[in-house]
Amino acid sequence: MSYKPFMKKSIWVILAACIASCTPTKIVVPLEEGQWQTGATLGRPQINTGSLPLLGVYAAKGMSATTTAYGAAQLSSALFGTVQLDAGMVKGIRPSQGFTPGFSFSYGGNLFVSSRDFATRIYPEAGANMFWQQGPHILNVSANSWLDPTWFLAEYGIGQIFAPSFGAGYRLRYKWLELQAEYKLVNPTREIHIPQASVPSTLGLGGRGLYWGAAINF
Amino acid sequence: MFFGGDGDYQFSNDPLDTAYHIDESKIHVFTVPSEEDTIYGLFLGDFSQMENDTIIYYLHGNGSSMDVFWSTVAVLANLGEQHRYGVVMYDYRGYGKSTGTTQNAATMAADYDAVLKWMEDRGLTSDRMVVMANSLGSLPAGPAAAGGSRITIEKLIMEVPQSSADVIMQNATGLSLPSSMITEYNFDLGKNMEDYPGELLWMHAQEDEVAPVETARGAMQRHNGTYYREEVYPNAGHGLRWDIGNEEWMRVIHEFILH
Repeated sequence: MSYKPFMKKSIWVILAACIASCTPTKIVVPLEEGQWQTGATLGRPQINTGSLPLLGVYAAKGMSATTTAYGAAQLSSALFGTVQLDAGMVKGIRPSQGFTPGFSFSYGGNLFVSSRDFATRIYPEAGANMFWQQGPHILNVSANSWLDPTWFLAEYGIGQIFAPSFGAGYRLRYKWLELQAEYKLVNPTREIHIPQASVPSTLGLGGRGLYWGAAINF
Repeated sequence: MFFGGDGDYQFSNDPLDTAYHIDESKIHVFTVPSEEDTIYGLFLGDFSQMENDTIIYYLHGNGSSMDVFWSTVAVLANLGEQHRYGVVMYDYRGYGKSTGTTQNAATMAADYDAVLKWMEDRGLTSDRMVVMANSLGSLPAGPAAAGGSRITIEKLIMEVPQSSADVIMQNATGLSLPSSMITEYNFDLGKNMEDYPGELLWMHAQEDEVAPVETARGAMQRHNGTYYREEVYPNAGHGLRWDIGNEEWMRVIHEFILH
């Protein structure tokens, strides 16, 4: 018996899988001091043989030569009646020089509030980026993890404290324009179950997705 | 949240093994009102059977309509011997020809009750009713077993059930997010099983990727009733009957009914 024809019936759960830990890396290389960047991100987490579009918007500002602050909203979550916001800081440790990679790290938090019962969850996150910058071209590999301080609220002991992700991407930062592409492995420490849908995994664990972004700098 | 598919209700013996054929005189499509909507149901058996014999009330899974579950109810009707049991199933709102849209626990409970009232009016009593819920069907079956059924459930079969809306959300996201983040349909079968005093048979597949066995076990083992039996099959998936075969599937169900 095939369950594929019924996939559409659990679309709410499929999207739910992606409103959480599928948010793309927004800033890899800190902005210049005083510089602003606003953009939109389009995540395409893989489900079955296709992918799903998840839209978000963000703004970032270079607070200093090495520190950038950002804030973002996930618009796709709003369609389900959930406010999903995240904010944080990206700090440069050292710039890229030639083939020597640069490094930055990030920290922040993610807020979820249900409009139905005002259930609220806050997930801190931290990550590290290694990048190579040549003129307008930026290549990066990134590791990030969300921390679930309320993991014990998950039923039947299925909660986990850490929800890691790993990504690799390319960014074109040219004058006022920035274009972003990133491939991410999400939650590769646990199985992701979505009723009547298949989630492409890595060795049976987690999910995957391709993320796009476009931003303007000013 | 749910989107029903089409149903043509052409219940024919052609696709069935001869051992599970149903006499055409025993195939009855009926309708009942459920609030503002019309629910389509299928009864296999003789109407006189409703007053005297055991009826299996089958709550189907997340298929497009009763068409998908025709072969299953045909097997159920022939447990033990041909036409031994009456079987009733129906399409939830928005499934098959049933009108409206299934939205939440209230609509599912109303549809369950509407069909049950149809059976009650024809003489069905608690001691001759077996409720069997497959996958999605466990959602209305849970609250019904926990006291929400106009005919008290004394025997309940949960086949590859889910566990709770929160678990689905948490298995999908990997985070402790409650289901209220995405849906108003909050169900908790574990809590329902705590409140269900009757007999329970839980059948599940070890490799079930639609309803993970670990959380289903957690929910079903909260049962506090008079009798509990579980059958968990290795190397089987969510399409349990197809994976373990009719013979084993029928054996376990029939043993439970006769228990």
